[in-house]
Amino acid sequence: MGALAAMSLSCPSLSWSLGDAAVPEMPGISLHGFGTLGVTRSNNETAEFIRDLSQSRGAGTQWTAKVDSLIGLQANIHFSSSTEAVLQTVSRHHANESYQPELAWAFLRHDFSPDLSLRRGRSGTEFYMLGDSRQVGYSNLSVRPPPDFYGSLVFSYIDGLDVSATQPVAAGLLKGKLFAGRSPEKSSFAPGISWDLQGSTLVGGYLDYLRGPWQVRLGHAQVRFKNESPIDTLLQANGDPLSGVPYLSLVPEMAMAQRRAQFSSIGVVYDQGPLNVQFMLNQIKHDSPAYTDSKAGYLQAAYRFGAVTPYLGVSRSLSDVEALPTSVIPGVDAITQSLVSHSFVDQHTYTLGGRWDFEKNLALKAQVDWVRGTPMSVFLLKNTLPGWDGNMTVLSLALDFVF
Amino acid sequence: MMKSMLPALLVVLLVSGGGVNAEPVVVVNAASAVRQLSKDEVVNIFLGRYRRLPNGETAIPIDQPESSALRSDFYRKLVNKDLNEINAYWARLIFSGRTSPPVQAASAAEVTTLLVGSVSSVAYLDRSQADNRFRIVLEFPP
Repeated sequence: MGALAAMSLSCPSLSWSLGDAAVPEMPGISLHGFGTLGVTRSNNETAEFIRDLSQSRGAGTQWTAKVDSLIGLQANIHFSSSTEAVLQTVSRHHANESYQPELAWAFLRHDFSPDLSLRRGRSGTEFYMLGDSRQVGYSNLSVRPPPDFYGSLVFSYIDGLDVSATQPVAAGLLKGKLFAGRSPEKSSFAPGISWDLQGSTLVGGYLDYLRGPWQVRLGHAQVRFKNESPIDTLLQANGDPLSGVPYLSLVPEMAMAQRRAQFSSIGVVYDQGPLNVQFMLNQIKHDSPAYTDSKAGYLQAAYRFGAVTPYLGVSRSLSDVEALPTSVIPGVDAITQSLVSHSFVDQHTYTLGGRWDFEKNLALKAQVDWVRGTPMSVFLLKNTLPGWDGNMTVLSLALDFVF
Repeated sequence: MMKSMLPALLVVLLVSGGGVNAEPVVVVNAASAVRQLSKDEVVNIFLGRYRRLPNGETAIPIDQPESSALRSDFYRKLVNKDLNEINAYWARLIFSGRTSPPVQAASAAEVTTLLVGSVSSVAYLDRSQADNRFRIVLEFPP
C-alpha cells in the first residue's frame, strides 16, 4: 500500500483524468481530447461569417459545420512530477479548406519550482488572455471567443520557448510570462491564396495579477513577418491590372516582409460564484500601411442558474484611418486603396446565448450574434460581394465535449 | 412487515443523509510543519495557480472521487462553483498545456492513504474522518 501511494504521488498522471470515462492509460501517459460539433448560418448572402482569419470560407445562409467544428487529441507524457511532454493535434477547417490535422502543441515543460517553469517546443500563442484555449469550446462560455477581438489573430501556435514565474504579492498572485519563437503556419490571404507565415518571429509577454475573484492582465506581443504577402498572386488572379509588373516595385512602402505588427492588450475577468464577467481591449499596430491599425474590445457577462448559463456580450472592432502611400503611375493608387480596404473593419457585435451543461463533460450552446457594421467593414468576414451592407445576424448551435 | 422495515429504512435515510451533509475540512499530514492555510492559499493549491506551502514545500493536492458529495461541497464552499465549472476550468488548463489537476484518488480510503504517505499532500475530508493522523488547516464557516 505504501509503495502504491508513493508511486501515485511521484507520478500523479497515473490517476488524474478529466472524467470517469475509460481513458487509455499507460504508466506516465494520459490521453485526453476535446471537440466541438457546431453548425452556423447567417441571414446575409453577401458575406461569409468566419471565426478567425485563418479560415478561407465561412457561413452563408446555409447551415455549415465549417466555422466551429473541430476535434483535438492530446497526450501528456510525465517523466517526473516536474517534467512533462505535451503533444496535441487539432483537426479543423483551416486555410487550405481541409480538415487536415495539425500538430498544434509539442513541447517539453519543466517546473523548476512552483514559482518558475520553462516550456520548449511548439505551443499555443497567448497574445491575449484566454487566447491559448480559444479552440477548446468546453472551456469557454460562448460558442466561440468574440471574433471582433480574437478573429484577426492568425497565429495559433509558435515554435520556441517560454518562461513563466509566479510570486505572491499583497494577498494576490503576480504572474509573468515571456515567450519567443517562430511561426510554422500559413494563413488564408484570399480564396485559394495563402500567405506563408513560416519563419516570422514572435516575441511577447504578459503580467497577470490574480486576487480573489479578480484577474487582470497586461500583454504585449510583436511579430516580424518573414515572407512577403502574396499581393502579386492576388492581383494576377484578379485581372492582372499591372500586366505582370510586381506591385511592390511600384509601391515599396506596402511591403510586409521584415515589418512588424504589435499587439497590446488589457484584460479583466471577474469570476465570483455563478457570475462571470470578462472585459478586454486590444490595439494592433502595423509598421506597414498594407494593413490598417485597429482597436477592439469586448464585454461579456454570464450568470449560472444550475446547469444553465445564459450570457450576453457586446464587442467592437474599429480600424484607424491612415494616409496611404501614393504613386505617380495611373491606376496604382486605386489598387493600393483596394488592397488596404480588405483590412478595414468598423463594426459592433451584440451576442446573446446560453450554455447548458446537460451531462458531465458535455455542453450544449445556442447563440445569436447581431453584427452591425458599415458597408466598408469587411476584414473579419470572407468573400464579401457588392451589396454587403455591414449587417448580419448569425445563428449558432454547438455541442462541446472533453474526454 | 411494513412496520419491521421502517427502522431499517430510517437508518438508511439517516446514513445517506449524513453523506449529503458532509462537512469538508482541509487537512494535511499531522507530521507536516504547516499549521494553517488561508482560503486563498487553498484556492491557489487546488486550482493550480500556485502550489507552494507556507513552509516552502511544493503542495500536492488530492481530490476526492468525482462522484462524492464531499467533492462538490468542497468546491462550492471554496469558490462557489459546481463541478461542471471546475471541469471546464481544468479543460482550459490541461489543453493549454499548463498545470495538472489535483491527484485523483479512486476512493475516500485512498485519499487518507495518500495523505498518510506524504507530508506535502493537502486534501479535504469529512470532519468525522479527520482523526489524529491529520491536522485541520482550514475550516469553512457553516
